[in-house]
Amino acid sequence: MSGGDIASIFQGAVVTITLSLIGILIGLPIGLGLALLRWANVPVIARMVAVYVSILRATPLVTLLLLLFFALPNIGVPINPISAAILALVMNTSAFNCEVWRAALMNFPKDQYEAAQSVGMRASLRFRRIVLPQILRVSLPGLVNEMSLLIKVTPVLAVVGVVDITRAAVRIGAQTYEPLPPFLVAVALYAPIVFALVALQRWIERRQLATEAAA
Amino acid sequence: MTRLLPARFGAVSRRLLLLLVTAQLAVPMFAGKAHAATLDEIKKRGYLTVATEDDFRPFEFVKDGKPTGFDNELVEDLRKYAPFEIRQEIIPWTGILAGVSTGKYDIAMTAAIITKERKQSLDFTSPIADATHFYVKRKGDSSISSVKDLSGKTVGVQAGSALLARLPELDGMLKKDSGTLGKIVEYTSYPEAYQDLALGRTDYVVNTVINLKTLVAEKPGAFELGQAVSGKSFPAWAVAKGNTELLAFFNEFIAKERPAAGSPSCRRNGSAMHSRICRLRSSRNSNGSVGKTGPS
Repeated sequence: MSGGDIASIFQGAVVTITLSLIGILIGLPIGLGLALLRWANVPVIARMVAVYVSILRATPLVTLLLLLFFALPNIGVPINPISAAILALVMNTSAFNCEVWRAALMNFPKDQYEAAQSVGMRASLRFRRIVLPQILRVSLPGLVNEMSLLIKVTPVLAVVGVVDITRAAVRIGAQTYEPLPPFLVAVALYAPIVFALVALQRWIERRQLATEAAA
Repeated sequence: MTRLLPARFGAVSRRLLLLLVTAQLAVPMFAGKAHAATLDEIKKRGYLTVATEDDFRPFEFVKDGKPTGFDNELVEDLRKYAPFEIRQEIIPWTGILAGVSTGKYDIAMTAAIITKERKQSLDFTSPIADATHFYVKRKGDSSISSVKDLSGKTVGVQAGSALLARLPELDGMLKKDSGTLGKIVEYTSYPEAYQDLALGRTDYVVNTVINLKTLVAEKPGAFELGQAVSGKSFPAWAVAKGNTELLAFFNEFIAKERPAAGSPSCRRNGSAMHSRICRLRSSRNSNGSVGKTGPS
């Protein structure tokens, strides 16, 4: 394995991190939005969200990706591999995020919400000040769990030509006929990425504890 | 807290379900409308999209992050030859032929072996090589010394490949000696198949003689080339079915790249590409068990 090979695995790491971050940053608010639509029980839309989430949770990411990549151009929507990969990641992760957010919302004490209403808070303010901080804390472990799964599911994006850590390693093995060394490098790269995410979660949790202690 | 749904929601969800079922039925209709760009359309828009693989050494592989190999050298020549821009997408085997038949890529410049089944949805250029299927075994495996010893042994082969599709030919060869084809293990690509062979999970791997010669040359301590397990086999490039002008364009390109059999340019070591095609040829000829006529 040459220095160029190691460099190409690191290039793969940049792709893995970038796509995961984009997937997380877009999928997180969409998941929250979907959960709120269901929580508020908006007529018809709430049911549509439920069906959408069920279908996406039942669809393997790789199948969804191949479908988007090959079917969308047929209905006149040109899509490149990166956009297809991001779209599939966001659709997939938002469905799972929706359920994590919804679990927190279902457990949210209704009396607090009514108390906020009775002091005349508007809906947006009630959500920002009362609901969001509390459901965020409850959802965080579940969300971080989903994020770490998202990072590790990125190798399937290779089917449309996205070269992530694993695909870069596969390519090196195909050229040298020695697949083990590149795979070792690949495994060593995933661990710090996920650890960084978990460290961020711990930091947020500690900060929350500190603010609560101060209050 | 679960909310009990009023009856009307049940009706809505039934309608939704109906809609989803209809949508599923509609998808194949869209698929039927797949449209591959013609040569005129390619010229008008100014670019052509080529799809190649990334793990099929020596045809296409990636070295130090750069596409390398036989087909990639031809892609470079194509850039000089074509009056339009060449865009290249490097993707795994899984999606490559589907991408061509749906018009996502204009051509698969990969060693796709011509088969009857593939001809139903794709048109093939003239062959880029002559690649009979051979088997490779572990170095020093004394239980296999000729094709008839393969009876009942486990074979590794790429899923969805022509190599897999033509295993019945080997079965026929084995049946003549009252043997039988053993268990077949399918892999998404060949590097895994070679690795499993080295680990002893399979007894032999079937691939084209060109791929296997490269493997054995690179890993002489681990693998040993066997004999032919198929009749003639021709890899070629694939375009969408009915895309005749584009096919003609590529056949002209291949004719220009390929010197006539035994022509001086084969011996003269002319351009990199000419020598490349000649090398592929000589790798076939030096192996006595393959016929003498070149690709046609």
